Amino acid sequence: MEKKIRKKETQKKEIQKKEAIGKNSLIAAGVFALAVICCLALQKLEVQKQSTTVFVFAVFLISLATEGYIYGILSAFAGMLAVNYAFTYPYYELDFNIPVNLISAVIMITVAILTGTLTTKLKENEAAKAESEKERMRANLLRAISHDLRTPLTTIYGASSTLLENREGLTREQQDSVLKSIQEDAEWLMRMVENVLSITRLDEGRIKLIKTPVVLDDLIETVMTKFSARYPEQKVSLDIPDEIVVIPMDGILIEQVLGNILENAMLHARGMTWLSLKVFTLGKQAIFEIADNGCGIPRQRLSSLFTGGYADREERVDGRKRNTGIGLSVCATIIKAHGGEISGENRKGGGAVFRFTLDKEEIDDE
Amino acid sequence: MTNNRYKILLVEDEVNIRTVMTAMLEAAEYQVILAETCSLALNLFSSYQPDVVILDLGLPDMDGMHFLEEVRKESLTPIIVLSARTNDQDKVQALDAGANDYVTKPFSSAEFLARIRMTLRNYRHSAEAGKFPGGKFRLRDLEIDYDSRQVFVAGEEIKLSQTEYNIVALLSEHCGKMMTYSSIIKAVWGYSNEGSTKKLQVNMANIRRKFKVKPGEAWYIANELGVGYRMNGDRET
Repeated sequence: MEKKIRKKETQKKEIQKKEAIGKNSLIAAGVFALAVICCLALQKLEVQKQSTTVFVFAVFLISLATEGYIYGILSAFAGMLAVNYAFTYPYYELDFNIPVNLISAVIMITVAILTGTLTTKLKENEAAKAESEKERMRANLLRAISHDLRTPLTTIYGASSTLLENREGLTREQQDSVLKSIQEDAEWLMRMVENVLSITRLDEGRIKLIKTPVVLDDLIETVMTKFSARYPEQKVSLDIPDEIVVIPMDGILIEQVLGNILENAMLHARGMTWLSLKVFTLGKQAIFEIADNGCGIPRQRLSSLFTGGYADREERVDGRKRNTGIGLSVCATIIKAHGGEISGENRKGGGAVFRFTLDKEEIDDE
Repeated sequence: MTNNRYKILLVEDEVNIRTVMTAMLEAAEYQVILAETCSLALNLFSSYQPDVVILDLGLPDMDGMHFLEEVRKESLTPIIVLSARTNDQDKVQALDAGANDYVTKPFSSAEFLARIRMTLRNYRHSAEAGKFPGGKFRLRDLEIDYDSRQVFVAGEEIKLSQTEYNIVALLSEHCGKMMTYSSIIKAVWGYSNEGSTKKLQVNMANIRRKFKVKPGEAWYIANELGVGYRMNGDRET
């Protein structure tokens, strides 16, 4: 299966390459034709001495607009021949013995090469810049994650060594609370690792999202089963369409999006008494809406909700509130990769609401 | 007393995980036999005849799948596979090769022990009950009459279509075993094509509507996205 995909990708690349060649040739031919027309006009006006300049300019434009050196150099040669043949004395005859013609040829080729070099370098620079920006983001994320990993690891390490070395000195309740802290932090680590895994799965870019049609019921069933296993006390009011909705998706990743948003409510919506998950369809889209009536989202967090909470980490170095906020940025990455949109805001009546959209599939009858 | 205990063959190469799992199992009164390689596991399997095998797929000498295939050639002993989340395909492959269930790492001891109990119970049931025609299947309020092809919940009939009945009946015959999409499709439709999984999911959604259950509620059929469905034996908390 992977092989097939790879094959498809190389085919796609080949098509893209062919398209690029076509586009570049078209640009070169167009500009060149314009130059010829110009020179013919100049000839009519009897100022054909300027025709070399016109072709130099054309070569410059072609080198600028096309990729690589090839088109520029080819048009320089063509231009040289055209100037030599049509627009300099002897007219409509090739003559390589006149020094003026040779000089104009050298000038045109030099211009082509220099412009080609400059534009190629410029493009390379831009690519490198984008790449380094991506690198920087990744480094930030890594730093944030490893910083956040240290806290639960400290708990687990410290707690387990306390138990090993000094079990008799602790009361039964103390032992229980130490064990409980190990469990809680291990669970936190587990969720963190899931998120990191998802993000790397998408970040690599080379691995394309594999979408399979999933019936909404199955997705919600899986999400709710896991959620109620973790938070047995929390009721979620569900509202999903009566008709059957099929959505092409990477099921595991979307499951994680829903899990993250629901969990986000459990962790941050203080005072929450009501949590709801609603799915409805609008045109070709399925809209997922998760709402609560807790404390809402602090205003200063609203703008950077999905852009990675790890960007503004410097503010809370104390490490007490150790929630990287990568949960929501993982959601955003996943939804974007699916071609959907995600948003989060405060509800009028209090509490927060998160919404995301996915394209659904038209159902064909059996 | 010792003779009464179930024997579990634990095939796992990671020392720490082995230690912890042994402690879990022994605390639950199981007798544990350890193997850290595939070849050792095969030897121990034939000499001890364990009641359940717990199999980690990534072993140093051979793929755990090899063990699975070897054992399945001559034995129906239940096998529970340990897998990592990233490998959906691994789970499906192992289930199709005859594994009864899988547990995703990391897991809690409660979850793990519940799976073992369920697997053991279902294995015993299916060994005793058989699938004779005219037999009836009962699970809590659910009753399936294989002869008249009817399904009842608390005495009330649920009107299912042919296909829907076939799916429910198939899952009940393999109660407790996680059935992959492809194995269900093969048994119900006999052939499969691109849209088969979707067709199965749509049928399942309709079954769920006819049973009037809401997502996430405890129900007879559990689903694991991307893998398949399982009829739950007695649900444990």
